Amino acid sequence: MREIRIEINGSNYTSRISDNLTLLDFIREEAGMSGTKRGCDSGHCGSCTVLLEGRPVYACITLAIQAEGKKVTTVEGLEGDAAGQLHYIQQAFIDHYGIQCGFCTPGMLMVAAALLEEKPLPETEDIKAAISGNLCRCTGYTNIVHSIRMAAEDKLKQEGGDE
Amino acid sequence: MSKYRVVGNSHPGLSVAEIATGRGRYTDDWKLPGMVYGMILRSPFAHAIVKSIDTSEAESVPGVLKILLPWDVPSKRYNCSGNPPSPLLIQDEPILTDHPLHMGDRIAAVAATSRKACREALMQLKVEYEELKPVFDVMKALEKDAPLLHPEIGGSNLVKTMEAAEGNINTGFEESDYIFEEIYETPAIQNVSLEPNGCICDASVPGKMTVISTSQTPFQERRILADLMGLSENNVRIIKPFMGGGFGERQQLHSQPVAALLSRATGRPVKIIHSREEQMTASVVRHSTRIRMKMGVAKEGLIRAMQVEAWYNTGAYATHGPIVVAAGSRKTNYRIPHYEFKGHCVYTNGPVSGAVRGYGNPQITFARESMLNMVAQKLGMDPIALRLKNHVQTGDRLPGTDHPLLSCAVNSCVEKGETLRKAIEEEDMKNNGQQGLSHPEKKAWGVAFCCHTSGPSNREGMSSSIVMVNDDGSVNLLMGSADIGQGSETVLAQIAAEGLGIGLEEISVTAADTATTPYDTGTFASSQTYVGGNAVALAVEDVKKKMIQRLSEIRKLPPSDITFENGRFTVSGPEGLEHLTLKDATKQITFGAGGSIIAGSSSYKAVEAPPPFAVCWAQVAVDMKTLSVRLLNIIEAVDVGNPVNPEKVKAQVHGGVSMGVGYAMMEEIQVDQRTGKQISSDLLHYQTPLSRDMPGIHVCLAEGWEPSGPFGAKSVGELATVPVAAAITNAIAQATGTAITRIPITDAFRPAASPWPKRAATESPAVTSEKEGV
Repeated sequence: MREIRIEINGSNYTSRISDNLTLLDFIREEAGMSGTKRGCDSGHCGSCTVLLEGRPVYACITLAIQAEGKKVTTVEGLEGDAAGQLHYIQQAFIDHYGIQCGFCTPGMLMVAAALLEEKPLPETEDIKAAISGNLCRCTGYTNIVHSIRMAAEDKLKQEGGDE
Repeated sequence: MSKYRVVGNSHPGLSVAEIATGRGRYTDDWKLPGMVYGMILRSPFAHAIVKSIDTSEAESVPGVLKILLPWDVPSKRYNCSGNPPSPLLIQDEPILTDHPLHMGDRIAAVAATSRKACREALMQLKVEYEELKPVFDVMKALEKDAPLLHPEIGGSNLVKTMEAAEGNINTGFEESDYIFEEIYETPAIQNVSLEPNGCICDASVPGKMTVISTSQTPFQERRILADLMGLSENNVRIIKPFMGGGFGERQQLHSQPVAALLSRATGRPVKIIHSREEQMTASVVRHSTRIRMKMGVAKEGLIRAMQVEAWYNTGAYATHGPIVVAAGSRKTNYRIPHYEFKGHCVYTNGPVSGAVRGYGNPQITFARESMLNMVAQKLGMDPIALRLKNHVQTGDRLPGTDHPLLSCAVNSCVEKGETLRKAIEEEDMKNNGQQGLSHPEKKAWGVAFCCHTSGPSNREGMSSSIVMVNDDGSVNLLMGSADIGQGSETVLAQIAAEGLGIGLEEISVTAADTATTPYDTGTFASSQTYVGGNAVALAVEDVKKKMIQRLSEIRKLPPSDITFENGRFTVSGPEGLEHLTLKDATKQITFGAGGSIIAGSSSYKAVEAPPPFAVCWAQVAVDMKTLSVRLLNIIEAVDVGNPVNPEKVKAQVHGGVSMGVGYAMMEEIQVDQRTGKQISSDLLHYQTPLSRDMPGIHVCLAEGWEPSGPFGAKSVGELATVPVAAAITNAIAQATGTAITRIPITDAFRPAASPWPKRAATESPAVTSEKEGV
């Protein structure tokens, strides 16, 4: 057991945990945030994807102690420019029918957020590669890929318009 | 443009914002005060006897509250199927067993204060097994000396043979110029809903129980649990929370009976969430089949006879096996004067089979559509022309059924799909047909047709609806049918909004809480839009009728002087015509003299189960040297009647296509015949299509209208999966000249090195980098 601190979505969470506690359990059980989903607990499905220092990781095969003192972003940490507004990728998933049952959605959103941060206008193949570690059984990935692409296009259009 | 205001216009869904922000609460996201955890010890063997269980060390694990053994639970057997009661649902399943019949069968259960303590206790349970000889193959299971799985039920492993017939099969073959015969084999596959099955059972108050669970059939779950627990149904409340997919997975009870007993024993709410391994080994799979298909065809291309004998592997327990088999007999979309179907449902020690998107139909469709390709080739006919020549049309019946079709827009499907296919070809020709092609790849198209159903094809579907008009004129729609992620709540709200002349944002849906919503058979058989939708439409009519009655009493006018049209009431009073919106009328009725609440209700028994139709084209590129296959394009054109929410219909087709791709290309629950162990026990050893496995998917919506449907609608959910596998294998057959009779094609077409890319999960740059650290 040891006490560790992890910054999740801008707030610090301190807890006494055993070394083998996963980051997923830390987020869901210690920090009490249920947006990050447990689909397989073995690093295969991607439902639990969160950002660790901005990079997507499977929280179920990442130990909480690997995130000690680091910044973690979960789906609850995605927000738009104004208070109460959705993050533009969340909005795109809604507008372009990228959501069905929603269990893969938080993981997909986190991967998309990291991708668009790195590559503001990804090609379809880039998007498919980025989400190839995230399983979805409802959408055939069609509208998820489309939503991510449209999120990128709309964002660029908007930023262009602002200049 | 839709001729309606709300129906026919797309809406992304009533709950999408909750989902997108992570606020949607799925089963595992719920915590009740005092809640503890449960886990189940499962058999590592496909067939064994439990000689003894030593619990001493498990009991001493800190936090352990209760251990249940096979002899601690009621010996009453049940059937986990979420179908309405039927003699076909053989009650052969024990809650816990000392005679496990499949790997994953439930032996013992533990409740403890933490998941960790549960895991520790399971490891400390010392079980002594005596292994018995298992049988996995349906044909071997029917041999005389095969181990008998259920001697209490009968003297053989044959659960039931389901039959259907039309005309005289021998006459049909005599009238035929050509006879085709072939054996087809299809695999067991898993639903792989992203959310594992789970439940929280709270029986801490004696005589009562509340359950939050992943259930497609809350009312059947209530009936089965009430019976097992000796409670009346008013004392059992099933709440369906957000659900991470279903596809049939939750049409069976899973851990609810065990959680209920653990909760009763500990006096605490108990949560059991399946691990992915439990999902793979101990929740239902699609029946694997062996199908002997025989077809007689006249030389001008008319099918005279079709004879099907199929063996469905139902695994260790019957569940709804016989109903799945029978459902497969009623889904042939051609006019065939002489038809005979014999489907044998057979016990084996393989994984338990049950409901998976398509329910008995994808197997038969694969066989039939593969054979029709052989027929077209032999007769030198275009495969589409051959099918259209024989296809049912409005007024015809499907073979083996007795209701004439009220709608069939297959011609529109073909027309739209072919237009799209030609556009893809033309675009390709601009690049000399070599676009994306590497030497020595060869391109080809394949096609397959199918139909499915809108509601159970045995016409047992029933749904009910209550429309409560609040005093501000907004509406609460209470439905017993469960939205499992496909968006049925949205579609049903659209139907209500259309009928009531209000906006979608003025409707809230409560779908599936047995304490507050009316009975519904359940979310299966693609029922929601058609059966549930008709129930909503009827409840809306009931509301209008009641409101007209109340308005007539208030105004002292005969009800015939008040009408509801175009979203408003029109009162023809002595002072002329007066128009009232739903809001205005509600105010007058609720707060006016006499005052009354406004609630309409309905029940709809689906006497029709109109088939939707689909035509699917697949384009593949086959490497002629290694025989590896790449999918390039899939087009699916569907006749779903008048689509209530077109974009969501298309989204259903996208997902259906991906499941069909998995069925054809890669998915199979594999059992090691030597050790009797199921190899496909996690998502590494069981592959489902990933983003990079998917071809371009193109969806066409036919111009259709179903007279018996709500605003002309039929169903879509399962339909989309059904034709895909045969379209793909027919394309491969076209390219290679080799007919394919077995899916997934990985086995038949696997050269020395696997043609399939390594699982892409490890390719994700993000994950790779993390792996180094772990």
